[in-house]
Amino acid sequence: MNRKKIDKLIAASYEGDYLNQKIVIKIASLISRADLKKYINGLKLVEKKRSLIVSSPIINSELRKFEELFPHKKIVFKKDPSLILGARVVDNDIVYEFTLQNSFDKILSYIEQNYD
Amino acid sequence: MIDNNKIIETLEKKIMTFGGDGKTQNVGIVIKNTDGVITASGLSRATMGEKVVFDNGNIGTIFNLDEDNVSVILLEEASGIKEGDGLKTTGEMLSIEVSEELLGRVIDPLGNPLDNKPKIKKGKSMPLEKIAAGVVEREPVSVPLKTGIKAIDSMFPIGRGQRELIIGDRQTGKTAIVIDAIINQKINKKPVICIYVAIGQKRSTIAQVIDRLSAEGAADYSIVISASASDPAALQYLAPYSGCAIAEYFLEKGKDVLVVFDDLTKHAWAYRQISLVLKRPAGREAYPGDVFYLHSRLLERSVKLNKENGGGSVTALPIIETQANDISAYIPTNVISITDGQIYLQTDLFNAGIKPAINIGQSVSRVGSAAQTPTIKSISGKLKLELAQYSSLAAFAQFGTELDAATQKQLDRGKRLTEILKQPQYSPLMESLEVLSIYAVTSGLMDDIPIDSFQRFEKEMHDFAKKRYPKILESLSTGERPTEQTLKQISKLIEEFKKRFG
Repeated sequence: MNRKKIDKLIAASYEGDYLNQKIVIKIASLISRADLKKYINGLKLVEKKRSLIVSSPIINSELRKFEELFPHKKIVFKKDPSLILGARVVDNDIVYEFTLQNSFDKILSYIEQNYD
Repeated sequence: MIDNNKIIETLEKKIMTFGGDGKTQNVGIVIKNTDGVITASGLSRATMGEKVVFDNGNIGTIFNLDEDNVSVILLEEASGIKEGDGLKTTGEMLSIEVSEELLGRVIDPLGNPLDNKPKIKKGKSMPLEKIAAGVVEREPVSVPLKTGIKAIDSMFPIGRGQRELIIGDRQTGKTAIVIDAIINQKINKKPVICIYVAIGQKRSTIAQVIDRLSAEGAADYSIVISASASDPAALQYLAPYSGCAIAEYFLEKGKDVLVVFDDLTKHAWAYRQISLVLKRPAGREAYPGDVFYLHSRLLERSVKLNKENGGGSVTALPIIETQANDISAYIPTNVISITDGQIYLQTDLFNAGIKPAINIGQSVSRVGSAAQTPTIKSISGKLKLELAQYSSLAAFAQFGTELDAATQKQLDRGKRLTEILKQPQYSPLMESLEVLSIYAVTSGLMDDIPIDSFQRFEKEMHDFAKKRYPKILESLSTGERPTEQTLKQISKLIEEFKKRFG
C-alpha cells in the first residue's frame, strides 16, 4: 500500500478531533502487518501534531493560558521539578524552552566554550 | 583557570535576563540505526549538513532530507544509539576549530587531538563545506612549490595554488613523493604549512608517516589529520574537507599551504558506503551520481589568491590508487579531469629500480611551467621530450637491431638522464643542486662516467660544490636564468670534480 492510501485511511479514522475506535479496529484487521506498522506510525504522527505538551515544575492556573493560545491543540500538562522555574512547551518536533534550567545550561556551555 | 568573579558576573547577567532568552529547539526521534546512518522522524526545520546532537551526546550531521524523516550520519561509534532515542538540531553547520596551535599536532577530522598531547585551545571556527573562491579573487599560478625531487621540479613543476594528482598502483611510491615534498618545505624561509590528510589508511602506516615527519624536522609546520580504516566512514568522508577548512584558515592570513589527500580512492569508497546505506541510487562501479561533485568541490578550494585578498595559496596534492595500472577507471578519470595535471607512477618502473617511478609520457603539469624558475627552466628545457623519445627508442632497441650512431647517442643520453633523475627517498634537493645534477648530464660532462657510478658521483659532486663553490650554488638559488659565465663556472666545477672522482 502506498503512502497516499495510508494517509487516506488515517484521515478516515478520525471523527472530528477524536479517533473512531470501530473504524480503527476495522482498518487494522484488514491491512497487512507492514501496512499496519505504517498506519500506526502515521496515527502517532498525527496525534503528536495535534497535541501540545507543557512541562513545568508547578502546575497552576497560569498555565491554562496555553489553552487560549493554542485553541486547536490538545494540551497535556506535565509536572517536571528538574526545570526549576518556568515552562517547556513541546509542539510536535519544536521545543520552546523558557526554563531556569535552560538558562543554567546556557551559562555552562558559555563557560565551557570560553574558558579552558 | 576560570576567574570566579567572571563566572558570578555571567551568572548574575543571565539571571537578570531570565525569561527573555527563551530557546527554540527542533527535536526528533530515532527510527532506525543502520551501520552509522540514522533515520529519524521530526526535525522538520533541519537543514542539509546541519550538526545534530543525540541524547547520549553523540554528534551527527544531516545527510538526507525526506518527506517525513531525515537521515543522519554519525560521527562517532554507532553502537550506543537505539530506536526511540532523541536527537536535536544545533543550528550549526559542521565546522572545525582552527588556531596556530594545530601546527605539529595529529588530529581527527573534527579537530580532536589524537597524539596524547595537551588539549588544543579553541580558535576560529572554520566551516567544513565552503564555496571555493571566485575568479575575481584569484590570480594565475606563478610561484613554484618546490618538491625537492629532480624529476618533478624539472619536468612537472608544481605551482602554489595548483592541484597536481599523484596516481599509481599500490607500492609505487606515491606517499613517498608527498612526504619528500613536505620535508622539502623546511628549506623555505617561511615554510609552506603542510597538511597531511590520511584517509582510510592503516593506523601503522599513519604512525610511520608521523614518525618520519618528526624525524626530518617537518612536524613543526605540519598538521596530520587522521581518519584511519577503522574509523567510521563518515569521518573518512569528512577528513579532506577538514584539511581544506584548516588550510583556508591559514590562507586567510595570507600564508601558503600544501594539502595532501592520501588518498581520494578510499575517500570515494567511504562516500560510496554512506550513499549505499542511505539508499541513494548507485551508478557506475556502485558509486553515487554525485561522486564527481564530491571531489570537484573539494579540489576547487585549492587556490592562489591575488594580492588584494592576501596573496595566500592552497596547493592540493591528491593521491589516487589505481588497480593494475588502470587509469581509465571511474575515480581516476574523474580526478584526472579535475586536477591541473598528474604524476603517474608505474609498478614496472619501480621494480626496475627507477625511483621515483614516474612515467614521463603520461605525466603532465598543466599550469606549473608558468611557476618554474628561469634557472631550472633553462636547464631542463628539452628534458621531458628527450626522455619520452628515449622510452620509445628503448622499446625498439630491445629487438637487437643495429642502430645508427645518432640513435645510439640518443639512447645513451636517455639512459644517463634516467639515471640522474633517480633519487633516494627522504632526500629532497635544493634547486641549485638539482640544476647542477641535470646540467652535468645534459651538457655531456658526465658522458664518460660509468652509469653504475652515477649515484655516488652525484652525491660527492654535491658535497664538493657545497664545500668548494658555495657561490656558484648561491647564484643558482636566485631563480634567475644562469649567465654564460655561470654555466662556464659550473662546467669548470664538474671538470675539477671529475679529476678527483676515483
